[in-house]
Amino acid sequence: MEAVIVEDLSYRYWPEGPLVLKNMNFRMARGEMLVITGLSGCGKSTLCYCLSGIAGHRRDGVMQGQILLDGKDIQKLRAASLALEVGIVFQDPDSQLFSPSVEDEIAFGPENLCLPPGDIRARVDEVLDLLGISSLIEANPYHLSGGEKHLVALAAVLALDPPLLILDEVMSQLDQQAVQRVADVLKRLKDAGKTIIAVEHRLETVTFADHLMVLERGALARWGPIEPMTADREFLAAQHLID
Amino acid sequence: MTLDPRTKMVIVICLSTLALIYNSAGELLPLLLVTLLLLLLFRIDISSVWVYLKRFLQLMLVVFIIQCIFTRGGEVLLSLGSTALVSSQGLLAGASLVLRIIVIISAALIFTTFSSRDFILGLVQWKIPYELAFMVTIAMRFLPLFRDEFVNVVTAIQLRGVELKQVSWGRKIDLFRSLLFPVVFGALLKAQQLAVAMESRGFRAYPRRTYLRRLDFIWIDYAVMLIFITITLMLIISY
Amino acid sequence: MHFLTLTQVNFHYPKLSRMALENINLEIEQKSITAIIGPNGSGKTTLGKVMIGILQATGGKVLLQGEPVSEMSLAQIGRRIGYVFQNPDLQLFCATVAEEIGFGLVNQGWEPARVKEKVDFCLEFFQLAEYRHVFPLLLSQGEKQRVAIASVLVAENEFVILDEPTIGLDAYRKKILAGYLRKIASIGRGMVLISHDMGFVEHLADRVIQLEKGRIVGDSERKGRNGYDT
Repeated sequence: MEAVIVEDLSYRYWPEGPLVLKNMNFRMARGEMLVITGLSGCGKSTLCYCLSGIAGHRRDGVMQGQILLDGKDIQKLRAASLALEVGIVFQDPDSQLFSPSVEDEIAFGPENLCLPPGDIRARVDEVLDLLGISSLIEANPYHLSGGEKHLVALAAVLALDPPLLILDEVMSQLDQQAVQRVADVLKRLKDAGKTIIAVEHRLETVTFADHLMVLERGALARWGPIEPMTADREFLAAQHLID
Repeated sequence: MTLDPRTKMVIVICLSTLALIYNSAGELLPLLLVTLLLLLLFRIDISSVWVYLKRFLQLMLVVFIIQCIFTRGGEVLLSLGSTALVSSQGLLAGASLVLRIIVIISAALIFTTFSSRDFILGLVQWKIPYELAFMVTIAMRFLPLFRDEFVNVVTAIQLRGVELKQVSWGRKIDLFRSLLFPVVFGALLKAQQLAVAMESRGFRAYPRRTYLRRLDFIWIDYAVMLIFITITLMLIISY
Repeated sequence: MHFLTLTQVNFHYPKLSRMALENINLEIEQKSITAIIGPNGSGKTTLGKVMIGILQATGGKVLLQGEPVSEMSLAQIGRRIGYVFQNPDLQLFCATVAEEIGFGLVNQGWEPARVKEKVDFCLEFFQLAEYRHVFPLLLSQGEKQRVAIASVLVAENEFVILDEPTIGLDAYRKKILAGYLRKIASIGRGMVLISHDMGFVEHLADRVIQLEKGRIVGDSERKGRNGYDT
């Protein structure tokens, strides 16, 4: 069964509002990675909201079409049980950190999933180590720098161990070393069978992905294997995605 | 001394209840001393009391003056022509009200010795539904969020070259009125994002949840709590 | 006289044991583009905030054209130095994008006609015209970032500090921003760019200051087109 199936997806933020996503169709198998790119305001973040099921649960939003994750229609899932199917790291790290310490922040998800304390401890330590932020364990997330906040937000989602990961420009605030580390982690997760969808402007950091999607004003401008598309400099330049 | 956060909560409640019941400086002063002593026991820097009090200085001054003027009786200390302005009773009433505020603020400092997470844990282990416990702490978090939002906006405005201290009052009110909507709306947006962030990490996925840490309510907690409640009740009854 | 002078500047956040900035000595000239780079958490943003007095240095002195920043009001500093925060959410406070961009000008007493002219230009240049009447906080992250940048650059301060201006911007908008910054630098307005985006900084900066764990570990002037010289 395919991990992600999107059929005729359209979205507007309010009933008479403009179409932010227009009639999108695509499929992904388990263990594949998709990179979404496009100019700002083209609907990348909205697509992330839709795929994670958040948009479908908004009061005013109007979603048409269907999104199936592992065969399950996400609009029929309860908001909170979505966390078992999909983990999302938002673009703005400030809006997703709310705990008094990094340790509490990361433990929050596994605690909600009712894991025994021993397992929670193990997961917290594991993701801290994985992302190289073990030294921040006692820190208050509020006082961290922008890049560190993003790493903590990513760690908090990884601790939930969801089969599908959605990352909205997680690498944009990271230094070179952290970008490399996160890229390695993603590669490893992908090999372990996780499905990953990442919004990214700098395509050179995610060359190990399978698919590339270019969005233009809410519609699929192109979709296909990543390598031939990143090699097609003419197309990328025409889309204003490179200098 | 490491006590359970719940024990500390009970102590804070006892102290502030007494502060609200007591009316005269003669009773409030010993209470303040006891409170400060407790702060020392909890290893709280006494000078931090002053840091917190400073924020309420203006409020205390206003309260003090109002009490002084509106409480009559006793010897007249200051008069304007034939109308008495400040009496000895008024002065005492003002002083005791200020003392009361100081006791409550100092007692509340005990809250700074444990994190909001321990507070949640304590409540949940006392069988209070976790949704409720989280709601309380998120609400407690929200007041500072509103304040931060306000501070950020004031900083941003000044950095765009507006000298707030020199702007006339009419203009200032105008300015703040035009800011009210965006600031409130912005804070609401953030609250909504916070709810989404919590839910997307599985909050309320199940009717119960587990916790990484646990609090141990040991004999010393029972003992301390019992002593505080008994003394407080006795003081209230004998009052 | 140097535009900004920092002598022996220290900063530590209350409740944190580690120093955020340690023993910073720095002179910055007005007519230059200075980049501050360094890994996550190295103190770049803190340094920017200390420079304009949003944070007061816990030790040492910060002078703006010879005057101590600690004795100036934020508004006095703000009229000389424009500041773009890292997170646009923290600095947008108006009800529409057009008001946001015009706010500083209106409150410094510009004539309405000139304000409109400047605002129109900025909306057009930063490709925000279609959002003129939209509530800024409802825009996407990249759009908010552009509104924040436009609302500071519009005031034409003699100096600006931009904290991570490229976050959320696509390659196309980065190029537009770089072009604008280069243009204002060429007419004598200086700036400090705080960024981890080496690709962006490389083509712009005359001088690159490198921070690590709150200390300056590198300071190089640009020499020729292809490299830095210490």
